[in-house]
Amino acid sequence: MKALELDGVHAGYGPARVLRGVDLTVPDGATVALLGANGAGKTTLLRAAAGLLPVSAGTVRLAGRPAPAGADARARAGLCLIPEGRGVFPRLTVEENVALFAGGRRRREEAFDRVTAVFPVLGQRRHQVAGTLSGGQQQMLAFSRALCTDAALVLADELSFGLAPIVLDELFEAVAGLRRHGRSVLVVEQFVDRVLGLADWIYVLDKGTVTFVGEPAQLADGGLFDRYLGSGRR
Amino acid sequence: MKEWMPFVVAGLTTGAVYALAATGLVVTYTTSGVFNFAHGAVGLVAAVVFYGLRVDVGMPTLGAVAVAVLGVAPVLGIAIDRVFLARLDRAGPAAQVVVPLGLLVALQGGVTAWFGAASRQVAPIFSTGSFGLAGTRIGWDQLSVVAVAAVAAGVLGLFFRRSDLGLRMRAVVDDRELTLLSGIRARRVTSAAWMIGSAFAALSAILLVPFVGLDAAILTLLVVQAFGGAVVGRLTSIPLAFAGAMAIGLGASFTTKLVVGHPGLAGLPTSLPFIVLFAVLVLSPRGSFGGLGRSGAARRRPSRIDRPAPAGMAALLAGALLLPLFLHGGRLLVATGFLAYVLLFVSLGLLVGLSRQLSLCHAVFLALGATFLAHLSDAGVPFPLALLLGGLAVVPLGAAIALPAIRLSGLFLALATFGFGILAQSLLFGTSFGFGATGAVALARPRILGLSFAGDRAYYFLVLAVVAAGVAAVEAVARTRLGRLLRALADSPLAVESLGVNPVASRVLVFCLTAFLGALAGGLLGTLYRSVNTTSFDFSASLLWLTVLVTAGAATLGGQIVAAALLALPAWFTASYLSEYQALAFGAAAILLAQSRNGLAGLWRRPDFGRLAAEGRLRLARSPLRDRMPPPSGVTAPGVATPGAGA
Repeated sequence: MKALELDGVHAGYGPARVLRGVDLTVPDGATVALLGANGAGKTTLLRAAAGLLPVSAGTVRLAGRPAPAGADARARAGLCLIPEGRGVFPRLTVEENVALFAGGRRRREEAFDRVTAVFPVLGQRRHQVAGTLSGGQQQMLAFSRALCTDAALVLADELSFGLAPIVLDELFEAVAGLRRHGRSVLVVEQFVDRVLGLADWIYVLDKGTVTFVGEPAQLADGGLFDRYLGSGRR
Repeated sequence: MKEWMPFVVAGLTTGAVYALAATGLVVTYTTSGVFNFAHGAVGLVAAVVFYGLRVDVGMPTLGAVAVAVLGVAPVLGIAIDRVFLARLDRAGPAAQVVVPLGLLVALQGGVTAWFGAASRQVAPIFSTGSFGLAGTRIGWDQLSVVAVAAVAAGVLGLFFRRSDLGLRMRAVVDDRELTLLSGIRARRVTSAAWMIGSAFAALSAILLVPFVGLDAAILTLLVVQAFGGAVVGRLTSIPLAFAGAMAIGLGASFTTKLVVGHPGLAGLPTSLPFIVLFAVLVLSPRGSFGGLGRSGAARRRPSRIDRPAPAGMAALLAGALLLPLFLHGGRLLVATGFLAYVLLFVSLGLLVGLSRQLSLCHAVFLALGATFLAHLSDAGVPFPLALLLGGLAVVPLGAAIALPAIRLSGLFLALATFGFGILAQSLLFGTSFGFGATGAVALARPRILGLSFAGDRAYYFLVLAVVAAGVAAVEAVARTRLGRLLRALADSPLAVESLGVNPVASRVLVFCLTAFLGALAGGLLGTLYRSVNTTSFDFSASLLWLTVLVTAGAATLGGQIVAAALLALPAWFTASYLSEYQALAFGAAAILLAQSRNGLAGLWRRPDFGRLAAEGRLRLARSPLRDRMPPPSGVTAPGVATPGAGA
């Protein structure tokens, strides 16, 4: 079974075509990392997969079935996209955010327990307005959406964006936790070293097309690394 | 102190009604990003249904209130959201103002056509008795209105804090995209918000009608006073909007007491909301209102505007010169009116079409242009000079409106001009240089250089001369640096400023010019009918003209001429049913055509591809980029369609 399949996907913004025939597969229970230079189309790919951006050609399949139209329908079908940088409702409290993520106030207690089991610090912030949390805590709260739901497929866009390294350990541990629970994960990441240790498969995207598919070891050996990521690791 | 108490009570009562309306307005604006100019009209429709059920059907009062507030209004709200606003998702700022305005004009026009323009008395909903408190008589009805508003606000507050739907609404306000990613059906949430907002509009209107009567114009206007409160809350904060509306109610009531004995200031209390509206918009720190609404997602269309060819203009002029040969009597008057309307729409088109700034106070220019002309003529100034001076006298008003135009655009400029229009109407119309105490001025047909223009045919040619000069002036402006600057400002003010050009002067100039030309049109129309009164050019005329112009096509002279013809149509056929349904028809047409390239004139020139292009299909097919793109490389599977082949 495949959690997510993109088949010849074209997408873009107005006249600007960003994705030009992307094929990508996330096998069930696998963690896939998507790498590529700035502007390669990584975020666009995630948005197209999540239904935020219409696909002008090609197909998107979720768990073997054609993905429903609309981001909300795909979320209900078990896809969870953690967008880059702003994945929380800034003017609602932590608790209200969790209640929304979990699908209703009635389920907020159980969801909150799940969240605090992974991110204990959010337990002390329960009634704080999300916009006043630190950047790292906001990212934890944003990632909590994957924990609150039983979404089979989690897409995470630049979890590390603008965060201190010390916070990253906790976040990447949470990603690894998803994998242990059998969830399928697609991560876009700048910290390539971190991802290489985490992923089962690596995709490299360049100018809107996939230029490399393989296991992490292949990427490190084959020199593709330098070719497609510029001058090297960070 | 004691003599102030009755005014406190009255102020709290009207403030409560405004507060309910303002609350509903903010609920819909924050969740959908569309400012509902038709908010008052929704309340009007609900009030009419309430009246019909209660009086004609004989329903108990409470039942009629329930049906109107909980049945009719929510259905209307959901219809507005689903039918009219669903298409606005990617519309430009102008369409986002014109569609709700068209709705206002259509609903108000529809109610007037069906229900009649006359005001109707409405029996009290609550007991009319009163009780004494600390020496002040307080009506049970006044207390009840305040109580209802307080309860409604309290329930709404609880709803937002405690219910899932309320939480989802707040989430949609915060970040619509993230609600979608959380699996929430944001469209349904928005529709629910429109149901609630409409119910609040209905409740406020129904609470109001026993005090002011059921009158289409007054009710639309009175609930529109909630705009002032909503703007105090930056259109986004419900508590601030509520408090602002209460404060406006109190302030208006106190002003009523203060202006007793000053007949010149009689219009002040009722215009207080608009003073607040105008002042808040003009005086708030720059940027307070910038990031609101949906303009960020707006798809900007390049403003390529075709100027008419000189040959075409000559043909039009020749046609206009020959026209009186075939006309006489009433139709000649209609044709003369049509010419003056051309000048009206050319002046409005200068703003709406060329620089794409919506102005909702154009009637003020025409009204004051007419009164200035009358007063100057009475003082013995020769007609051509009086017309010119009258036009120039209105120019400062145009400059005053340019003040907000420098800082605001789109919705907020429309709101500011809306407030300004009503303000000018209630404060200036009654003065001695306006219509004075009688509410009307007489204008005689002139004698110029010994030639009499008293006859209808002679006057036609005089109007033609002035209109032709005005049109020529506007065409000349459109071709000059100012015209290019205005078009550039319409496309991107930032780009203009980055070229080192200060846009302030051009913005002020265009408003001055439009005011001047509007005043000329007002003078010509007034002289045509030999008299003008306070209702000839009132604020609803401004709204109607805008819908007509958008329907016909604001950007070209052809569209402006079509607009003049449409406005003159009912008089031409002397059919009362035409004028009765005129507002309804133009409101509906403006809604339909708000997003087209140039209204009817644009349809005439070529089929409207605008909407298809918005969906990306045509744009892709025509995209010049397509051919320049390298073919997809890398590991793309063979046989997958490329964008070019797929389109």
